[in-house]
Amino acid sequence: MMQPDKIILVSPWVTCALIGLFIAWPLYLLCKKKWRSSASNNNRNTAPPDWSIAPGTAAEKKQSFLHAWDPRLKIATLFTFCFVVASLDALGTCLAALLISISAVLYSHTPWIRVRKRLVAISGFLAMFLVIMPFTSPMVEDETILLFPFLSALPFHMYGLLTAVLICLKACSVALLMEPMFGTSSLTVSLQALQQLGVPAPIIQMILLTHRFIYLFQQEANRMHRSMKLRGFSPKTDIATMRITGNFLGMLFIRSYERTEHVYEAMLSRGYNGVFPVYTQHRISVKDIVTTGGWLITGLALLLFDASAQALWV
Amino acid sequence: MHIADGVLPTSIIFTTYALSSAGIAYSLRKINPEDLPKIAVVTASFFVASLIHLPLGPTSVHLLLPGLMGVLLGPAAAFLSVVVGLVLQSILFQFGGLTALGANSLMIGVPAFLCGLLFLRFQGSTLRSNVAGAAIAGGLGTVLAALILAGLLYTSGESFFRVAQLALVAHIPVALIEAVVSAATVSFIFRVKPEMLYWSRTLLYTNDAAR
Repeated sequence: MMQPDKIILVSPWVTCALIGLFIAWPLYLLCKKKWRSSASNNNRNTAPPDWSIAPGTAAEKKQSFLHAWDPRLKIATLFTFCFVVASLDALGTCLAALLISISAVLYSHTPWIRVRKRLVAISGFLAMFLVIMPFTSPMVEDETILLFPFLSALPFHMYGLLTAVLICLKACSVALLMEPMFGTSSLTVSLQALQQLGVPAPIIQMILLTHRFIYLFQQEANRMHRSMKLRGFSPKTDIATMRITGNFLGMLFIRSYERTEHVYEAMLSRGYNGVFPVYTQHRISVKDIVTTGGWLITGLALLLFDASAQALWV
Repeated sequence: MHIADGVLPTSIIFTTYALSSAGIAYSLRKINPEDLPKIAVVTASFFVASLIHLPLGPTSVHLLLPGLMGVLLGPAAAFLSVVVGLVLQSILFQFGGLTALGANSLMIGVPAFLCGLLFLRFQGSTLRSNVAGAAIAGGLGTVLAALILAGLLYTSGESFFRVAQLALVAHIPVALIEAVVSAATVSFIFRVKPEMLYWSRTLLYTNDAAR
């Protein structure tokens, strides 16, 4: 049986305060959501951001070394860097990776709202780890445990908390890097770069077409949803809601299916022969190679520090 | 639930990337290239459908739809559709991490593939058999996805055991909702546009005939 290094007994008052916070926080969120939905009449903007034009290229004229970087080298380098970040195991190197990602976002002049949307999207998954893992992680040699009164069956493992924090740091670093990687050139250019890097051409064609039609079906779904609300539909947890949603989805799929033939015929009549022509040419400059080298050396340094810091993280 | 970056160990990341690449290569060989633009258009409607949230008690859940994708597209096309949808979800919304893309593709794509095979086998020609097949595919697809998620977390280390168990339990109500919604969707399509339910066969069989 492994023995913990230190057991800290938490005072009942602190425990009560923490439990109170734990109950109050979700309640507050629920109330806020209810209040907001009643105030704005559920006018939630769920449309994906328009990626056909890269931000900072045409509209804002704010350029950075990330915009000028050859897209093939940029995606290959940052993709590799993401894998390096995902494989880190030490607190120090994870924090360093987060700092690097934050500075890359600042350099690329990414609008704050897009970054926030990404972080909100992963927050639920990460919160689950932060709440569950400290209570459920196994006992490790020489670790610190917090014992709450009333909750003696559920010791709070500092090791579990650390594991969860590391996951959060890594997930946020990679999520932040997505904006410099794909947000600094238009989606078409990024996908062309991916194709030149070896992703099968049919997959790239499908992604481009799907992306184009998402906006269309989003509008169609919004319109259908609006007319459903007009007829008095309000979703509840019951069979009727599920049946109506099923009909709604069925209509959406039938409309998309009926469109497939027209779309394909229209593409054929405009000379589609299985590939979209590429007009933009990119040439790799010395500056591109220097930038790539810099990122790769940073990644290698992170890996080396991580390997030498293994013992530090408990 | 989409796996975020930083959860899975490096070995699992590379294994899942390799396995889903193999899945893509296999599916591309099974499908007539002329049908790919059509599959892409239908994928867009699945993308929009997966953003819809249904209330479940005080919270809400969104549909995973692997079963329904298998039913409507057939095994190979459904796998491709899942991969394309997940790439876009990751790039546009951060639903699922970039390094976990392989794992997420397997988690949704393999159930979609299996449900597609199952539905092709037991579809029948009556409303009742179609709806029953869709309900089973919808529920089974979600259960399989949850099992793969739990399996991936189990292989990631001892600290994730309890998280994996909780994830499995949390997917039980989602599987029930998904079964009912899939049955209702297929029942609607059978009455309005029945040929769409047999479209997945032409996606596969024209190719086999050509070979």
